[in-house]
Amino acid sequence: MINSLMKRLNIPPRNQWRSAISKVIDDRVRIITAGLSIRELRAVMRGDPPTEKPNPRYKVITTSFIAHLRPRYYPKAATWFTHTFRLGFFTTFFFVVEVITGVILMVYYIPFPDQAYGSILEIESNVFFGELLRDLHRLGAEAMVIFSWLHLLRTYFTGSYKGPRTFTWLTGVLLLLITAWLSFTGYLLPWDQLAYWAVTVGTSITESGPVVGPALNLLMRGAPDIGTGGLLRFYLQHVILFPLIAILFISIHYYKVSREHSISLPAVVEETELEPEKKKEANRRIDLIPDLLSHELFLISLGIFIMLVILYFRWFASPLETHANPQQTPLDTKAPWYFWWLQGMLKIDPAAIIESLVNPIFATFGLEYRLELSLLLNSKFIMGLILPPTLVLILMAIPYIDRNPSRLARKRPFAIIWGIAWIFIFITLSFMGTPQYGIETPAATRIVQDLAPEEGEGPLRSIPYAELYNRQAEYIVGQDYGTDLCPGLSYLPDPEHAPEDIVIGCPQLTAVFAEFSQRLLEAEAEGRLPNLNAKLTVEQFQADLVRVTPHVEWTDPETEKKQIYEHTFFLHEDRAQGE
Amino acid sequence: MKRVQLEIVLGTILVLLSVAIVIVLGIREPQRLAQYELQQRAELIEFGASVFTLNCTRCHGSQAQGIAGVAPSLRDEHFFTQRLQEVGWQGSLEDYIVSVVTTGRQVSTRPQLYAGSTGQPPVMPTWSEKFGGPLRDDQIRAVAAFVMNFAPYALGELPTSIPLGPLADESTPEGRGQVVFASTTAGCTACHTISGISTGNIGPALDGLADRAGTTVEGLSAEEYIRQSILEPSAHVVAGYADGIMPQNFGEKLTEEQINDLVAFLLTLE
Repeated sequence: MINSLMKRLNIPPRNQWRSAISKVIDDRVRIITAGLSIRELRAVMRGDPPTEKPNPRYKVITTSFIAHLRPRYYPKAATWFTHTFRLGFFTTFFFVVEVITGVILMVYYIPFPDQAYGSILEIESNVFFGELLRDLHRLGAEAMVIFSWLHLLRTYFTGSYKGPRTFTWLTGVLLLLITAWLSFTGYLLPWDQLAYWAVTVGTSITESGPVVGPALNLLMRGAPDIGTGGLLRFYLQHVILFPLIAILFISIHYYKVSREHSISLPAVVEETELEPEKKKEANRRIDLIPDLLSHELFLISLGIFIMLVILYFRWFASPLETHANPQQTPLDTKAPWYFWWLQGMLKIDPAAIIESLVNPIFATFGLEYRLELSLLLNSKFIMGLILPPTLVLILMAIPYIDRNPSRLARKRPFAIIWGIAWIFIFITLSFMGTPQYGIETPAATRIVQDLAPEEGEGPLRSIPYAELYNRQAEYIVGQDYGTDLCPGLSYLPDPEHAPEDIVIGCPQLTAVFAEFSQRLLEAEAEGRLPNLNAKLTVEQFQADLVRVTPHVEWTDPETEKKQIYEHTFFLHEDRAQGE
Repeated sequence: MKRVQLEIVLGTILVLLSVAIVIVLGIREPQRLAQYELQQRAELIEFGASVFTLNCTRCHGSQAQGIAGVAPSLRDEHFFTQRLQEVGWQGSLEDYIVSVVTTGRQVSTRPQLYAGSTGQPPVMPTWSEKFGGPLRDDQIRAVAAFVMNFAPYALGELPTSIPLGPLADESTPEGRGQVVFASTTAGCTACHTISGISTGNIGPALDGLADRAGTTVEGLSAEEYIRQSILEPSAHVVAGYADGIMPQNFGEKLTEEQINDLVAFLLTLE
C-alpha cells in the first residue's frame, strides 16, 4: 500500500532519495544564481575551473540583471594593480557608503535652520552609533572627492581617454563635478558657522555674473540670505537631485567600461612588441566569476576595515563648529579644501596685475595716461565665473584637443608635462586659498585669535581646568612672574593617572601667557602696537566655570587714538579637551 | 593557495576584524553618548555665559547678582526656590527662564522692588528673534543653562562668593570700594563701565577717572569731585549725558565708610 502511495505522490524509492533531494536543491540554486549548480558554486569558491560545458559562469552574465551590468572578463594586463590602482572602484565604493550612511542619517536630520544644528547634536549625543555614522558619511565624502581626482589623474597619465574612451572621459569629468557639488551641498547641512559662511561665500560668486547672476544667486539661496529656503534647496539637491544624476552618470560611465570598451590595456602592452609569451599572459582573460568578483569583495572588506580603523583611532572626526550666525562673519572663512583652488583664484585680481605691468611702461615713456581696468574687469566675475568653467570645458575637451594617437608616456612628453604643471598650479592656488594667505588681520586680534580661535580649541582652551580653578589672578604682559605662574599648585591630570604623573605648577597656563606676551611684545617692538598695555585675567565665574580675558590696549599709530581689544572666554570644567 | 581562495580568506578575516571593531565601539557607545552629553552641556553653559555677558549684565549685573531697583538677582535662593510659586509657573525653572527671556516682561511682577508699571516701556525686552529681539532660540536655551548653573551658590551648597573683578582685596579701602561698586545696593555697574569689571553704558565710562577728575571742575580736587558726583549727581553733569538719570540718594543708601571706600577705589582708575 505504501508503495502505491509513493508512486501516486511521485516519491522515488528510498535508495534514490539522496539524489532526488540534491537534484531539487540543485535546481533551486540554479534558479537563484541564474545558472550555477551547487558543484559549480563550490568550484567558484575554490577558484577551480568550470565543471560543465559550456561555461555556466558566462550564462550568469546573460541571465542575471545585476551580473549583466558587469563585464564577462577583463584582459589580465588591464587589471594590473599598478595600472588602475582600483581608483574608480573605490570611488564607486565610497558612493555606496555615502548612500547607505546618508539614508540612515536622513532619519535623524531636520532640514530647517531652527532645528538643523540641534539635530546634528542629537545625532552625536543621542543616537546609538550616531557619531560613527556621521563620521563614516563625512570620511566617505572626502575620500570620494580624493579618489575621483586621483582616478582622473591616473586616466590622464595613462592616456586612457583616447580612442574609444573619449566620451567615457567626458562623463567622468561630469561625475567629478557632480561629486564636488554633492559634497558642497552636504557641507551646508550641519548649519554651523563653517557651513553657513563657506556656502554664503561660495554662492556669492554667482552674484557677479551678468544679467542672470543675481537671479541665479537668489535661485540657489532661496532668499537674499541663506535661510529656510536655501537650506531646503541645498538639502533636496543633496539627497535627491544629485544622487539621482550621479547614479545616471555612474551607470553610463561604468556601462561603457564594462560592456563597450573595457578597461584600457596598459600602453606597454598595447603599443610595444612584447615577447609572445608575455603578450599572451597580458591578454589572458580574467573572468568575472570568480576572479573579479572575489577581488572586489576583498577590496570592499578592505575599504570598510580601513575606514573603521581610521575612525576607531580617531584619525578623522567630522568637524562641527558653533551654530550658524548670519550676524557674525568668522575671521577666517574657509571653503572645503577641494575648493581652496577656487578661493585662491578669487584672491587674484587680473585687472590689478595687468595695470601693474602696463602702467610702468606708460610712465617710462612719460605719458600721463594710466590704464584703469578695474572698472571694466570685475575680478570676481572673471576669476569666479569665467575662468573655472573654462577650465572645466578644457578638461572635458582634452580627448578632442589631444590628437596624439600614442598612449605611451615617452611618446607624449608635452601632455605629461602639461599634466604635472597643472598639479602644481592647483597646489599653489589651493595654498593661496587657505585663509592664512594674503589676508591682514589687526595684530591684537590675530594674536588672541591664534591663542583661542573662534572655532576649535586652540592653546588657551586646552589649558586644563585644574590650572585655572580658583586662580583669580591678573597677569600683566611685561612683568616677570618667574618660571611658573602658579607656585604651590600641583594636580593630577585626571583621576585615573598614577600619582607619579602629578603636574607641578601650571605649565600650560604659563606657556599660553608666555606666548601671548612674546607675540605682543614683538608686535610692540615692530611698531604695530605702540604704548602696549596688556594683561590676561583669570577669574572663577561659577562653581565650575572660569572666565579668561585677554585684554590689549595700544595707541593706534595712524589716528593716535587709544584702542582696546578684549575678548572673554568661558571654560567649563567638563568641556571636551584634546579633540 | 589560489588567489581566489586567498582573497576569500583575507576578506573574511577583514570582515571579522571590522565586526570586532564595531562591537568594541558598540560596547563603548553608551559611555561615549553620556560623555558627549556632558561636554555638550558644558559647552552650552560656556556659550550661555558669553551670551549673558553681552546682553544681560546691563540690568542683571555682571555676575547675575541683580541691580537694586533695576532687575533681580538670578543667583539667589529666592529665585531658585520661590520664584516659580510666586508667579504660578507649572514647569521647570529652566523652561521658565527660557519663556521669560523669549517674550520679555511687559509689566513688573514686583513693582515695589523693580521699576516698570502699565503704560511704561517694558521692564524686560523681548529677546527672541521671533518677536523682534536679537537672540536665536538656541542662544536663549544656552542662557538658561548658564543661569541654572548658579544653583550650587543659590541653594547654599557652596558659599556665595561673587568674584568682583580681579583681585578685590578687602583688607584695603580700595578693595572694599570695588566691592561697593559692584554691589547690588550701589548698583554702579548697571550704568558705568570699568573695563574688566562692568559693562554699563548709560553713564560715562570710569576708566581713567582718576586722571581727569582733578581737572573737571575748577576748584575741586579729584577726591572732592568724585565725592560730589556720587552725593549730588546734578552738581556737574558730564557733557553728552542727561541730568537726572543717576539716583540722587546714594547718601542715604550707602554708609559714610562705604562712600569713602568707593571714592578710594575710583581714585585708582588711572
